[in-house]
Amino acid sequence: MTRQVDDYLEAEIQRLLTEDDRVAEQGITVQRREQSVVLGGEVESPERRAEICRRITERFPDVEITCDIGITRTSVPVDAEEIS
Amino acid sequence: MIRVAAVGDVHVDHDVVGRYRPALEQLPEVADALLIAGDLTRHGTVEEARSFVTEFGGLAVPVVTVLGNHDHQSDQQDAVSTVLTDAGITVLEGTSAVLELGGRRLGVAGVKGFGGGFGGTCASNFGEREMKDFVRVGEDAANRLEAALTGVECDALVALTHYAPVPETLAGEPPEIHAFLGSYQLGRAIDAAGATLALHGHAHHGTERGRTPGGVPVRNVAHPVIKQAYNVYQLLSDEAEVTLVHA
Ligand SMILES: [Fe+2]
Ligand SMILES: [Fe+2]
Repeated sequence: MTRQVDDYLEAEIQRLLTEDDRVAEQGITVQRREQSVVLGGEVESPERRAEICRRITERFPDVEITCDIGITRTSVPVDAEEIS
Repeated sequence: MIRVAAVGDVHVDHDVVGRYRPALEQLPEVADALLIAGDLTRHGTVEEARSFVTEFGGLAVPVVTVLGNHDHQSDQQDAVSTVLTDAGITVLEGTSAVLELGGRRLGVAGVKGFGGGFGGTCASNFGEREMKDFVRVGEDAANRLEAALTGVECDALVALTHYAPVPETLAGEPPEIHAFLGSYQLGRAIDAAGATLALHGHAHHGTERGRTPGGVPVRNVAHPVIKQAYNVYQLLSDEAEVTLVHA
């Protein structure tokens, strides 16, 4: 039976993202779009994004997951802000 | 003028080593010090602290940090602090440091802080023991921040926390979780002691700029908010109008 995309699933994914030792992310958003789940936000490396998608798909094989997670850039700032 | 580079929530593990380094090597050209607003690691292990030190240690400018909630996840926060301190990185928790930078003194007082919320939706010291403990931890952190800020003699004073002192820089986060992201008591401490600038992290979906009710500029420097290796803030730009804080 296909898993219903509802509040309980959303909460389960939210907790897995934080409490799963291999993920430990609090900055990932979980949004429901019809019968699929969209993950958003940014992480520090491509490996982390891949691991999140792997873990969620493993745990909820019947749920359609879209992974819109980005990798935060680490460039040098081109300007400074004057504080007054 | 003092140029302060700042970032938070870098969440370093072995997979991040090398990503920040090129930008960090350029720090001396753009800033006089680097302040890091907590969540240095993913799970707060000693191994991750070593990765953090590999990436953020041995820089040509002084580095001052506070820990974040992630750095407490493995109950090894003291060992994590020791790894950082041994690498020459200053870790503040209810304490302060004064950096001599080109003849000017930059004071930094820091605390991790805690939740508790803001304004009319803050948590109250009432009811179950667990609820009172939650409120007390936040209150205690704010009191220690105020004491640390008040004790500093410097030309420019920065308050460094992980949790947010105002709700403005949380804009973008669901209001339902504001009480877990910061506390008005941190803002009250900053206003009571006075500061030139307040820096925090923790709110990955928040907003960069805000101000305390008393008028102190607040910047959320969480890495996903600033979207670059660090931001640079210039303090005391008007060299002629230097005043001593808490002289
Ligand atoms: Fe964080
Ligand atoms: Fe955090």
